[in-house]
Formats: sequence, C-alpha cells, structure tokens
Amino acid sequence: MNMRIIKKIALGLLITLVLLQFIPASVNKSEKVSEMDITIQYPVPSTVQSVLKKACYDCHSNSTSYPWYARVQPFRLWIDGHVKDGKKELNFSEYGAYSKKRQFNKLRSIRETLEEGTMPLKSYRLLHAGAKLTDAEKATVLKWVNDTRHLMEAEIE
Amino acid sequence: MKKVFFAVIAAALVFIACNNDKQAESHDMAGVNKDTAATSASAVDKDIKTVSVTYTNLDPKLASSIKVVVDHYLHIKNALANDNEQEAASGGTAMFAALNKLDKSLFTAEQKKLYEENEEDVKEHAEHIGKSKIDHQREHFAMMSEDVYALTKAFGAGKTLYHDYCPMYNNDKGALWLSETVEIKNPYMGGKMLKCGTVEEKIQ
Repeated sequence: MNMRIIKKIALGLLITLVLLQFIPASVNKSEKVSEMDITIQYPVPSTVQSVLKKACYDCHSNSTSYPWYARVQPFRLWIDGHVKDGKKELNFSEYGAYSKKRQFNKLRSIRETLEEGTMPLKSYRLLHAGAKLTDAEKATVLKWVNDTRHLMEAEIE
Repeated sequence: MKKVFFAVIAAALVFIACNNDKQAESHDMAGVNKDTAATSASAVDKDIKTVSVTYTNLDPKLASSIKVVVDHYLHIKNALANDNEQEAASGGTAMFAALNKLDKSLFTAEQKKLYEENEEDVKEHAEHIGKSKIDHQREHFAMMSEDVYALTKAFGAGKTLYHDYCPMYNNDKGALWLSETVEIKNPYMGGKMLKCGTVEEKIQ
C-alpha cells in the first residue's frame, strides 16, 4: 500500500521533470561586439577585461557562457531569470547607450558591490570558480573603476 | 570563590556599561555637535541659502507631472524617516508609475537632455525601492536623491524644497535628501537619529 503511493509520487515527479524540459530556453549569445560595448567606449585593460568576462559577463552582457546544466530545466529558467535581471541592472555590451550620468553612477555601484562583496552573487560564486575574485583581481578592477570615473569627470568639465 | 565570581561579574558589567557609553558617543553625529544641529534645524528660514529653479517656463502639464513624481519621492522620504519599509515600497512603486506616465515630448530639447540624463537612474531606483528591504531601499534612496535634486533644481517641484545632508550615512560617506519642511527628519537614520542632519539650501 505504502509502496504504491511512493511509486505514484515518484512517477508524478518524473513526468513533471520530463514536461519541464519542454519550456523554451532564452539564448543570450550575441556574436558581434556592439558599438556601445564598454570596451569600445572606454579604455579597458586586458587584465580588467578578463575579470569582467569570467565574473560578470554571464549576466551583465549580451553573451552568456552557459554551463552544462543550462541544458536542463528547471535550471535554465533560473539562469534565464538571472540573466534578464542582470542585464536590466547593468549591461556592459550596451554601456555606451546609457546617459553619461548613468555611466558614471554605474561605475560607482560596481565599486560598492565589489567592496561590499554583494557581487558576484554568492550562488554564482559557488558554481563558478572564476567568479571568486582574488584581492589582486578586485584591486585591478577597482583601480580601473576609479581611473574611468576620473576620465569621465575630465570629459564633462 | 564566590567573591572572585562576583568581582568578575561586576567588572564585566562595568565594561559593558562603558562600552555602551562609547557607542552612544560615536553615534552622536560624528563631528556635528548637538548645538549646531539644533540651530540649523530651527534656523531662520531666510538665512538659508536659496537656489532658484532653472526653467521657470516649463510646460504646465509637465510641471504638474514632476510635482506628482516629487510628491511620491517625499512620501518615500517620510516613510523611511519613520522606518516604514512597506510604506516606502508603495511610494517607490507609485513613483515608478508616475515617471512612466510623464510625457517627455513636452520638454524643450535642452530640458529633455537634462531630464534624460537622470531618467533611467531615477526609474531604476524607484522600482527597486518598490521591492526591497529597508536597508537596500535607503541605498537606492541615497542615489535617487542626487537625481531628484538635479531634476528639482532644473524644473522645480511646485513648492519650496530643502536640501538636507546627513554626514554619517554609509560609513561617513554622507548622503543628501530633499524635504518639504525645514525641520530635519532623517530618512537614512530613521528612529535611531531622526533629528541628525543639516539644512544646506532651499530650492524654489
């Protein structure tokens, strides 16, 4: 009796899991670099670029590098949600389309989230070894943030 | 043995008491002493530096749209001063809706440029205040206040606004806010230090 209920539940779960696979996945992968990309708009040293790429771009650019489990639902739904929210908040690929003030403010937010350790997200850090930034990597990015802000200030004046 | 025990307890109590004192002291306005704060809060209105609004020829429809936006901003401000997360959130949502309703086509080219410099940021902050915890609401409010300050200096708010400053917020990095009253009600500190802050100028 008991066994039958357990079997039914297991079967139900299995069917749900199979059905979940039919949920369409969004794809965030643009091949060409937009005119508005931050690397075209501002000088970004290659050391900084490599950090941004491995720790930020999955959610904050037009090109996500998907992990293997992204092929399986419901993980893909979860990833797609993060990508959507992340790009809305800050998209390095469209950075040049922001107003100058917004560009300036976004750099401040980057600095603050790095200093506070709120970004990259904890769940992301757990799943992506490259997203655990070393102190040196953080310092490199923070220096670039400050340099770029000074550059913007000089442009405004 | 008992005596030793009591001595230790007594020492511990003294230590805790002293520590508390210190904490109270360090929270005491960081450099701004109580007298100046009291004076500035009750400062005679006419002694406050006045900033005049840049565009007095604003389209009346826009003027009223901006007034609605600023009123929601002030609603958030008062909610945060009262440590009311829910009220602040509903203010944020209302402000976001009001921003989306504003008809940009009524601006002159020059006005529009200024508005658009701030537009996306203000919207983002309003939206986030609508769905965040109070600490995070305050972070967004600090950034949003800079934008609303720029906007009201340019377009007015249908009333006199006071530009206030809290030197302690965010580990003494400080933050500004706008208020409809000369009396200080600090939205960053809320009940902890409601009266802390200075009036910098008034915008009219």
